[in-house]
Amino acid sequence: MSRLLVVFLSVMLGSAIAHSDYHIPNLGEKATEFKDEGKEAHKREGMSHAASLILQRKMHPELLLHKRDKTLRQGVRGGYAQLKECVECHTSVDKNGEHVPINAPDQFCATCHEKVGTSLDCFSCHRTTPAEEL
Amino acid sequence: MKELNRREFIKNSTAVTASVATVASGISLTTFAAGPKETDPVTNEKRWGMLIDTNKLTEVDIEDMVSACQEEHGWGEETHSTGDQKPGWIKKVKVKDTATQRISNLALMCQHCEEPPCVDVCPTNASMKREDGIVLVDKHRCIGCRYCMMACPYDARSFVHEDLSNQKEHMPRGKGTVESCTLCVHKVDKGEQPACVEALNSDAVVFGDLLDPTSNIHQTLKRVQSTQIRADLNLNTGVRYSGI
Ligand code: SF4
Ligand code: SF4
Repeated sequence: MSRLLVVFLSVMLGSAIAHSDYHIPNLGEKATEFKDEGKEAHKREGMSHAASLILQRKMHPELLLHKRDKTLRQGVRGGYAQLKECVECHTSVDKNGEHVPINAPDQFCATCHEKVGTSLDCFSCHRTTPAEEL
Repeated sequence: MKELNRREFIKNSTAVTASVATVASGISLTTFAAGPKETDPVTNEKRWGMLIDTNKLTEVDIEDMVSACQEEHGWGEETHSTGDQKPGWIKKVKVKDTATQRISNLALMCQHCEEPPCVDVCPTNASMKREDGIVLVDKHRCIGCRYCMMACPYDARSFVHEDLSNQKEHMPRGKGTVESCTLCVHKVDKGEQPACVEALNSDAVVFGDLLDPTSNIHQTLKRVQSTQIRADLNLNTGVRYSGI
């Protein structure tokens, strides 16, 4: 029985690897990079990293909504939440070293958005890959 | 006299330290108050404007301005839009005085009106004027009705008719929304000049704060004859012209 389980699991693993052949997720690498630099992504003051992440997952539309009105309508520049910074870290790089658009199927934004069935309109206007010079 | 014990001594010295800190932060506050910070909202103490001298501006200059704008904001490469549908944030316009037959060429873009009709008619408040006079479209709110395009007396606005990709990071643009000259707000907020002004080697176009008495544009406007296009509409435009 347990041998069967092992076979089954290795088949599963094999197919997962075959799938991820399409893109190389670099989130893990990014996280390591951040740790090496001594900064933690999304770490907010007075909050554990985990709590910050949950906040980010649940509230990223609100965080960005607030910011976009301030930036565009009041001219307040800089600050914590910037869509271009989301894009800069959360895009993957494919085998040819090209950035994959962040809203493409399977990519950072689309995975959750597809799962919960919410449309993703940011990127009909916003750039989907980091800017050339970065 | 009571001798201070350790705890009281620490208490007192913290109070002293705190007051020093207050003085210090008071000082640093006054130093910062001189120039507004990046994180402050823009105010109506400034009004950005431009003066275009059509006598100094050659046709080549205008073409340079147009291509600088295209490069900065990434418009002009729409492949599926027909002639009329293509965006034009800044245009070369030829005007002829019917009496004298004198022809002048001007660069025409959004005039950043103080009383913008495009803002008046927008049903969603997407078309908006910043406190410092820069007129923008908040594309998050734009429903693409194009009322503003009808209302603008200068034909300054364009509608994006096709799906776009690879936009500039600082200039989100997308199908179904209206766009126009932003006076390079992303550069102005950094203290730089608009791309079209930077593209010129001459002083044919002056950019600056109309309200600041020490600014080049304020002083030039004081000195030379200038006009607003369609001044009869009383929109008090931020972009002024001389030589027409
Ligand atoms: S020139 Fe047209 S688009 Fe620009 S502010 Fe005036 S009315 Fe609005
Ligand atoms: S097209 Fe957009 S900006 Fe223009 S009036 Fe309609 S909603 Fe407002």
